[in-house]
Amino acid sequence: MRFAPSAKFAAVAVAAGLALTACAGGSGSSGGSPDGAGKKLSVLTGVNNHYPEEQKEWFKDIAAKFKAQTGADIEFETFASANDELTRIQTSVVSGQGPDVYSLGTTFTPTAYATKAFVTLSDEDWKKVGGKERFNPAALGISGPDSEHMAGIPFVSRPFVMAYNKDLLAAAGIQKPATTWDELAVQARKLTNASKGTYGLATGYKDNYDPWKFIWAMSVQAGNPLVDGDKLKMDDPAVKKAYETYFGWLTKDKVVDPAAIGWSNSNAVAAFASGKAGYLMMTTSSSVPTLEKSAVAGKYAYATMPTVAPGESASKGDGAKAASILSGDNLVVADYSQQKDLAFAYVKLITSKDEQLNYQKIFGELPANAEALAALTNPVLQPIAEAAGKSKATPFTGAWGDIQLGLVNVTVQSIPDLAKGSVDGAALDSRLKEAQSKGQASLDRASKS
Amino acid sequence: MSTDSFRDTRAATIPAPDRQLTRSGSAADDGGVPANAGTAAARGAAPSGKPSKPRKSGRRRNISERNRPLWMLIPGGMLMLVIIVVPLVLGTYMSALNLDQYTLRKWISAPFIGVENFVEALTSSPLLHSVWLSVSYSLIATVVTVPLGIAAAVATQNPFKGRALVRSVFLIPYVLPSFVVATIWRTMFQPDGVVDSALGTVGIDSGLWLNGPQTYWTLILVQIWASWPFIYLLALSGLQSVDHEVHEASALDGALWWNKLRYVIFPYLKGPLSLAFLIGMLHHINNFTLPFVLFGVPAPADVEVLPILTYVTSFQSFRFGLSAAMAFVSLVLIAIPLFIYLRAVRLDDAETPGGKK
Repeated sequence: MRFAPSAKFAAVAVAAGLALTACAGGSGSSGGSPDGAGKKLSVLTGVNNHYPEEQKEWFKDIAAKFKAQTGADIEFETFASANDELTRIQTSVVSGQGPDVYSLGTTFTPTAYATKAFVTLSDEDWKKVGGKERFNPAALGISGPDSEHMAGIPFVSRPFVMAYNKDLLAAAGIQKPATTWDELAVQARKLTNASKGTYGLATGYKDNYDPWKFIWAMSVQAGNPLVDGDKLKMDDPAVKKAYETYFGWLTKDKVVDPAAIGWSNSNAVAAFASGKAGYLMMTTSSSVPTLEKSAVAGKYAYATMPTVAPGESASKGDGAKAASILSGDNLVVADYSQQKDLAFAYVKLITSKDEQLNYQKIFGELPANAEALAALTNPVLQPIAEAAGKSKATPFTGAWGDIQLGLVNVTVQSIPDLAKGSVDGAALDSRLKEAQSKGQASLDRASKS
Repeated sequence: MSTDSFRDTRAATIPAPDRQLTRSGSAADDGGVPANAGTAAARGAAPSGKPSKPRKSGRRRNISERNRPLWMLIPGGMLMLVIIVVPLVLGTYMSALNLDQYTLRKWISAPFIGVENFVEALTSSPLLHSVWLSVSYSLIATVVTVPLGIAAAVATQNPFKGRALVRSVFLIPYVLPSFVVATIWRTMFQPDGVVDSALGTVGIDSGLWLNGPQTYWTLILVQIWASWPFIYLLALSGLQSVDHEVHEASALDGALWWNKLRYVIFPYLKGPLSLAFLIGMLHHINNFTLPFVLFGVPAPADVEVLPILTYVTSFQSFRFGLSAAMAFVSLVLIAIPLFIYLRAVRLDDAETPGGKK
């Protein structure tokens, strides 16, 4: 008969399928995994522009493992930009349907938390994802307003560090990278040789995010965490000092390429990659692929950024732990989800030690899983792993988006002055005052609701 | 209005059957016929399907007005209701709510605060500044692109060797996505970038393009570059509609090229160019991609145009209610001149001289 072979094949396939389901059922009952046969979990995550093919492979791989554990399918959806993501979240929040699990950037987590549309994990829930203690404690810093109310489950860490050119530092007689901002400026002056087009620091003043991270770090290290309860402290002298230092690299120290007023972070990476800069500021492990293929391959190393505020001799308050903002991705489970147990099982799977290490190997992002983080042995990554432990969360308030915008805006509006070679103190004051009043208004709304 | 007087004189001199035709043409103004569906729906007359206000009361309906299959407007009318009217009503309602990230989840029950958002938008936000920026930049860009477009259309009207190639090249800025245009220009305008070094060789120190006061002119320049081919296209279509006899007649009368252009050809272009001007203005006012990609967010204060301001208010500050109020205010502000302009040019008038459709 003509159909015999295919019929036989179908029979085998069905038998295999049954066997697999049986296996899944078995492991499910022993490992405590929920039975999700016939169900489908929907997961929304950011598209990985560096490794799109690998990401697709990873999706397939995880879906197969998840199916083996729970019997349920996973449908991955990706968003291309933060704006995309926001639109998806808004529609889901308003309509009460959509993906079960979302992957969010850390600084966006407070805003998402403020919508109350995501599950605040109970002790029971934490057990379902493998226990709170499996995560790097620092990575939990921006999961919720306090340790009892957490919605974000850390997935990867992406702490900010600086890279330095070993050859250039050695040629300038510098033994080891700076640990205070003042020292950094001194070293940068030694590294700068404008006639050859070499500069001490590479950083982009036109970047949409970088400027606020510098100001935040220097300010926290000087003992001002910017948000104190429901008061914004942007008109504090420490903040002004931070801006003066940050702008001063360009105007007074002249250790940054004057063209940097038009640069975003990627321009700075390119300048460093061509060997024209001693330090690359505010970068992450995602610069590794670019640098490995560049003129500085094998000649660069990472280091944690300084933790001593400008003009100080030691860091104040939590400053020593503020080498970077707490950065990375959190997972949140939607409150409207009808299959929360499955969602937790998925989170448990991808935050397990093995999967986290595997993810690190493919995408270069640091594990949020404490054991996996400790198991990293690559020396290039050591300073980054150290920065992951020394990351401090930005204030957990729904107003943070506005505050961050205000911080960057001060830089944006100061760029014409930067181009002229000096930023007028009075002008800076008035910009800070404006940012202060707008940010404070936003904080007031946050505390009212 | 010159067009009106033209019609009146003609209506007075032409015999009766033609007059009938004239009437049916002007009746189209009152809404209802498919070609005019947009205006009709905007007046809320589409679903009911009756001309809302006959121009002259007691006038007898003529043949083309009777038995019109107005029910055919129902599908289109329904779509307009769903796509335009419902969101408009929702947006207006949102503008009266204190809607932000804290209340978004149950947005229907967000606190009702009446006109507070409007007061905040008008008094303590950069809204009016943004409206001024948007309107002035759009106007300048449009006014400059119109002669450019006409010149290009006239230049490529007569056949010459390589005309097809030139015409294709002219369309490049138009077919490039806005995002690409903005990215390329941003790269060229970098400090010490291509533009700066080119100007430097002739001794001009141009200053900053992407920050500070000059950004306003940067935006206008790029907008002109990106949108003149649109005017060119419409001008070209207008030129194509000029009858061959007209060229012959003016040649017989011995008109020189400028007189021919000024008195014979341009009147033909009036209809298409009015349309192009209008669409160009609206397109510029609504252009979000260009300033967003060129300058980023937060934008320098000199290019914080309306779409950027609304975007930042909505998606960076999460003040959805406030941004709805801003959008509403700008809609009203833009609608006023638009309304006057539409009345003035009568795009739907079949009898504009040379306005062959």
